Amino acid sequence: MIVYGLTIILLIFLSPLVTSFIKMIKMYLLYKKPIPIFQGYRDFSKLLSKEMIISKETSSITRIAPYLVLSPLLLILFFLPPIAGGEYYVSFIDAFTITGLISLSTFFLMILGLDSASSFGGLGSSREAFISALVEPAMILALFSVSMMGNNLGLGQASVNLNNDFPYAHMASYLFAAISFFILLIAENGRIPVDNPETHLELTMVHEAMILDLSGFYLMLIESAGSIKFMIFASIFASLFMPFGLHLPIFLGIIVFVLKIFFIAILVSLLEVNTAKLRLFKVPNLLGIAIVFAFLSLITFYVLGA
Amino acid sequence: MTSLLIGLFLATLIVALFTMRLYRLILWYSLNSLTLALLAITIGINIDDNAMIISGFLTLVLKAFLIPYILKRVSIRFDLSRQIEPNIPVHYSVILVPALLVFTFYLSEPITNMISSNTNDVAISISALFLSLLLMMEHRNIAPKIIGFLTIENSLFLLGTTATNVMPMLIELGIFFDLLMAIVIVNLLFGHDDEEVAE
Repeated sequence: MIVYGLTIILLIFLSPLVTSFIKMIKMYLLYKKPIPIFQGYRDFSKLLSKEMIISKETSSITRIAPYLVLSPLLLILFFLPPIAGGEYYVSFIDAFTITGLISLSTFFLMILGLDSASSFGGLGSSREAFISALVEPAMILALFSVSMMGNNLGLGQASVNLNNDFPYAHMASYLFAAISFFILLIAENGRIPVDNPETHLELTMVHEAMILDLSGFYLMLIESAGSIKFMIFASIFASLFMPFGLHLPIFLGIIVFVLKIFFIAILVSLLEVNTAKLRLFKVPNLLGIAIVFAFLSLITFYVLGA
Repeated sequence: MTSLLIGLFLATLIVALFTMRLYRLILWYSLNSLTLALLAITIGINIDDNAMIISGFLTLVLKAFLIPYILKRVSIRFDLSRQIEPNIPVHYSVILVPALLVFTFYLSEPITNMISSNTNDVAISISALFLSLLLMMEHRNIAPKIIGFLTIENSLFLLGTTATNVMPMLIELGIFFDLLMAIVIVNLLFGHDDEEVAE
C-alpha cells in the first residue's frame, strides 16, 4: 500500500520534469541554449504567485472547469498498471474506463474554451473535439487488444501477465497495437505532428487556444493536467508495451520504470524535431493510420492468433 | 522474431498506402524490402539453408538500397511530381483497408488448411499481396504505380519464403523478376509518360 501511494506521488512529481526534459532535448537538438531541467517546477511556482484575472464575460464554468479537467486525470493515476512490485489495488479498470475518463477531462477543457466566448476558444474547442473523436476508437481498440493478449480485460492484471510471459506468439498484433498507441500518445498530448505546444499562432493552435483566457492558479491547473496526461500515456505505454522489470526489487523497479519514461520522452522529442506539423485537415490521415493499426491488431489477434 | 518482422512488413505496407509524398513512399518501400530481407535471412539461418540466406542478402542490397536509390535519382532527373494524391480518399481507406484484411484473412483459410507450418504468415502475406494491389490501384501517377508493382513482388517473395520453406527456384525467379522490373522502370521513366505531362 505504501509503495502504491509512493508511486502515485512520484508520477505526479515527475510529470513536470518529463515535460521540461522533452523541451530541453528539443532545444539542445536545435542548437539553442537548453532550458534547465527544473523549468517545469519553476513555471508552476511562478504561476502560483501570479494574480488571477477572470474575464467578466465568463460564467461559473470557468471557475469549476479547471478542477474538473485535472481531477479525472488524477483519478486515472490511481488506476494505472503497477509500476514496480506487481501490486495493484483497482482491478476493474479496462480500456473503456481509461478512455472515458480521458474524454471526460477533454470535455471540460472544451467547455472551458467555449465559455469565455472568444473566437480563439471556440476554434480550439472545435479542433480538440475533432481530434479527440478520432483518438477514442483507436485508443479503445489498441488497449483492448493488448489486454486480450495479456489474458485479462483489466489493464493492471494484463500488464502483470505480460510481464510474466511475454507474448512471443502474438508479436505481430502486439507490434500493431504499439504503433497505434504511440501515434495516440503524440496526438492526444498535442505534440508536433498534430499540434505545436509552443506556439501561440492562431493557425496552429489547438490546446493553447482553449486556455488563452486563463491566468495564475487556473492556468497552473491546466498546465499540470497537460503534463500529467503525458505521464499517463507514457506510463501506460511503458507498462504495456515494454513489459519488463516488474519482478525486480521495488527500488530498482522504480528506477527502471523512470528510465523507460525518459526513453519515451527522448523518442517523442526526436520525432518532434524531425517532423513538420501536419496541416489540420491532414491530421485525420495520421489518426486514420492509428485506427487501422488498432483494428488490425485486434483482427490479427482474433482471426489469425498471430 | 519471424512474427515481429512479418508484422513490420505489413506495417510499412499499410503506412505506404497512406503516404502522400513520393520520396516518403520510396522510403517506405525501402524499409519494406529491408524487413523482407531480414526475414529471409532469419528464416535461412533457422532452417540452415544457404540459398535462402544468399537471396536475403541479395534482397538487402538490391531492393532495400539499390532500387530505391535509382528510383529517387530518376524521379529527381525527370522532375516527377512529388505530390501523389491517392484516388481513394483517406477516410474511405480507413474502412477499406481493415475490411480488405478481414476478407483476406478469411479467404486464406482454405489455403492455410493445406499448409502444415506457418499458417499465420501465409495469411499475412496474402493480405500483403492484396494491399499492394490496392496501392497500385489507388494512384494515378506512374511512379507510385511502379512502387505498387515492386511491393507486389515483395509480397510474392514473402509468400514464397513463408509458404514453402525451401524454394530456390522461386527465389531465383523472384530476383530475375526484380532485374526485369528495374529495366521496366527505367524504360517507363525514360519514355516519360504523356499522361503525366498532361496533368
